[in-house]
Amino acid sequence: MSNKLLHFEDFAVGRKFVGGPYRVTKDEIFEFAREFDPQPHHLDEEAAKQSMLGGLSASGWQVSAIAMRLFADAVILKTANLGGPGCDDGRWMKPVRPGDVLMFETEVLSVKAPASRPEFGFVKFVWRLFNQRGQVAEFVVTTMPARRGA
Amino acid sequence: MIWFEDVEIGTKRDLGTYTFTEDEIIAFAKKYDPQIFHIDPDAAKKTMFGGLIASGWHTAAVWMKLAIADRDRARREGKTLGRSGVSPGFEDLRWIKPVRPGMTLRYTSETIEKIELKSRKDIGLVKSRNEAYDEASGELVFSFIGKGFVQRRPAT
Repeated sequence: MSNKLLHFEDFAVGRKFVGGPYRVTKDEIFEFAREFDPQPHHLDEEAAKQSMLGGLSASGWQVSAIAMRLFADAVILKTANLGGPGCDDGRWMKPVRPGDVLMFETEVLSVKAPASRPEFGFVKFVWRLFNQRGQVAEFVVTTMPARRGA
Repeated sequence: MIWFEDVEIGTKRDLGTYTFTEDEIIAFAKKYDPQIFHIDPDAAKKTMFGGLIASGWHTAAVWMKLAIADRDRARREGKTLGRSGVSPGFEDLRWIKPVRPGMTLRYTSETIEKIELKSRKDIGLVKSRNEAYDEASGELVFSFIGKGFVQRRPAT
């Protein structure tokens, strides 16, 4: 791995980065849900069977946080970045269950270099978090400001 | 019991407040968002933020925490929602201002849209505009459009 950080110019439209595997445990689902999302379908295996999701699943916000971790490891921690302004879209498409093994893929959707701000540009990414069956469990569109190179 | 049919557009709930601590900010970020300005108070001083700030996903997760507490409160007041709590996602999620240790945020949720689903007759989709304000300055620091499925009134 190079020590040189990635800059705005390194993010060509269509460039992909990958991450994972991330193994989701029941304990991690319970731990997050107890703190942030204490609903029966995240905390109680029997009650979860009766829920809309038909079984125990991770909080969607935990799934987003896991995708963030994989994006950080794959891109952000290797980039001269400036903190994120947000996400245009986020979709929880499949429940994430205990024992799921998640893989992460992100692709540059668009880049924008505002003339008024010569020191950085905006890189828009799509995230896809896949489960071990190859299904997209989460889909996110997010923007990362990156410093411009020399 | 409150069904999809009973949910009223324009209803706004004050979800209460939450104060972020340095320890919690660091613990969350070490696991899910280990950027230097989320995990290292000293190194964070040299970044554009000038100090430690919470991961945006932490700010979002706390919205969920307070929304569930509010739902439990409503249930105790006799306003139980039909089967709900499952969400297909969110839109326009904005981290507007940094959230720092010791800051208290007040979260709100307003129902803005109800959508009947062609594919499902048993549930409908409810959209909400969710916001968090810095209690000290009144500034908006976080917002998103949430989506949740709510059970429709069963045919009798």
